Amino acid sequence: MTDVLMAILVAGFTSGALYALATVGLSLVWGSMGMLNMAHAAMLTLGGYVAFTVITSLGLPIALGFAGAILAGAAAGAILYFAIVRNLLKNDKSTFEANVMIATVGVGIALENAILLTYGGQPLKQPVSIAGVLRIGPLTLPWQNLLIIAVVVVMMVAVSLALGRTRMGRAIRATAQNRDAAQLMGVAVNRVYLQVLMLSGALAGICGVMVSSMTQLSPPLGNDPMLKAFIMCVVAGLGNLPGAVAAALGLALLESFVQYALGARWGFPSLLFVVIAVLIWRPSGLFGRAEIRRM
Amino acid sequence: MMSATARPPVLHLEAIVSGYDGLDVLKGVSLTVHAGDFVTVVGPNGHGKSTLLKTISGLVPLRGGQISIEGQSLSGKPHETAMLGVAHVPQGDMLFAQMSVLENLLMGAYLAPDKAEIKRRLDEVYTLLPKLADRRNQIASTLSGGERRMVGIGRGLMMGGRILLIDEPSLGLAPLIIDQVYDVISQLSKAGRTILLVEENPARVEDLADHLHLLDDGAIVWSGKPAELMVRDELLATYLGG
Repeated sequence: MTDVLMAILVAGFTSGALYALATVGLSLVWGSMGMLNMAHAAMLTLGGYVAFTVITSLGLPIALGFAGAILAGAAAGAILYFAIVRNLLKNDKSTFEANVMIATVGVGIALENAILLTYGGQPLKQPVSIAGVLRIGPLTLPWQNLLIIAVVVVMMVAVSLALGRTRMGRAIRATAQNRDAAQLMGVAVNRVYLQVLMLSGALAGICGVMVSSMTQLSPPLGNDPMLKAFIMCVVAGLGNLPGAVAAALGLALLESFVQYALGARWGFPSLLFVVIAVLIWRPSGLFGRAEIRRM
Repeated sequence: MMSATARPPVLHLEAIVSGYDGLDVLKGVSLTVHAGDFVTVVGPNGHGKSTLLKTISGLVPLRGGQISIEGQSLSGKPHETAMLGVAHVPQGDMLFAQMSVLENLLMGAYLAPDKAEIKRRLDEVYTLLPKLADRRNQIASTLSGGERRMVGIGRGLMMGGRILLIDEPSLGLAPLIIDQVYDVISQLSKAGRTILLVEENPARVEDLADHLHLLDDGAIVWSGKPAELMVRDELLATYLGG
């Protein structure tokens, strides 16, 4: 029984770590810009394929595969800003949220199809993997899961330090909390938006590497984590980063337990049940404020 | 003390027009604030006082006329206006609600050149507003109205700008707290700060302001010394309800 429980916990924490990475990127963009980035899934997929290309096709070390995924995600975020977001911000602010959501749906479809055209639809094996297990007494912990959890913890600490301790992070948080006041302090909010999209893209890129290392690379790779990340964002309260991490871990553990107890097909419905319940009883999310910022 | 005309103008507005959607709120306002001046704009609610400050700082777009800081025209972008030394303490404080008092103050020094300068400004603010030092780690949303106003003023001071724009500092506060807020503003003025303040009640600034402008329906209808306005019963009755 202990083995089973441990297996569920390890699976839950691994999924939770991956969801947290996807959720934080999505939540960061929503919290600071009021923008639901529907291209986040495709940016995640892009990261996975870029790492694959760097490691397999170019024959470079795995560390450079990670770096490539981060750079590709950040570059995708920058392109998204310059091609779409900057132009939409020049228009009527009241229509920004709807317009940018529709526009990023289009960007996501285009990027996913570009990946399909380039790499084909056949699933590919992501070379970022560690075989074997770590045994501690009766416990058996796969190295691959530990790698994922370690990478995500490092990324979360880095994001937390960047947002909490740096001038850029303070500007991002200030813009999220009061855009006009941030501008009065001298913050160039358009530059902040660019930074946020690049940071979110970098997180999506590395998340893509980690997700594909557990499954396989395929063009719709990012869709499932993105959907679950969105559920977790809503449960936590859109824009709440610590809440997003807590919701990701909590819901991933719930999903793992439900899959074990009731069968794999009940995992996703259980998440939907939670999000519906939260929307009924706490529409602003478990950790969200009743008032949310608008552009 | 030099006369106002002998001192260089810090802020100059020339026939500025601005407003919201299709409506012009300011209809050709001109005024000048010289270095070290304490200038106040008084007027009834809804006649453009806050819009005036928001137009200067760039939050409301300028539709006509010109605004210059020490002879340099403003771009209309708020962050570039802040870079030119305009520190705006807005109505309702507009604090960063989830940040601590210290983080709010540090955001005021966002454009400060180095850490030594930030520390110097922080020491200055804590000397003037010692309560902020006691509350430095408290989250802004948990402060009282008076404390929030003090943080707003402190954050404006942290900007270290050429001119401080203060929007209705008495709004929504108890009389005792209003006295404390104006005591701080008075100290700033005596220390030589250049201040443009908007206020509904001219009696509040009677003993403080060097110059006073009466704003009605988006236009300046009277300018002079505060004491001169206080004896013009017809103006007080017509524009400020007596």
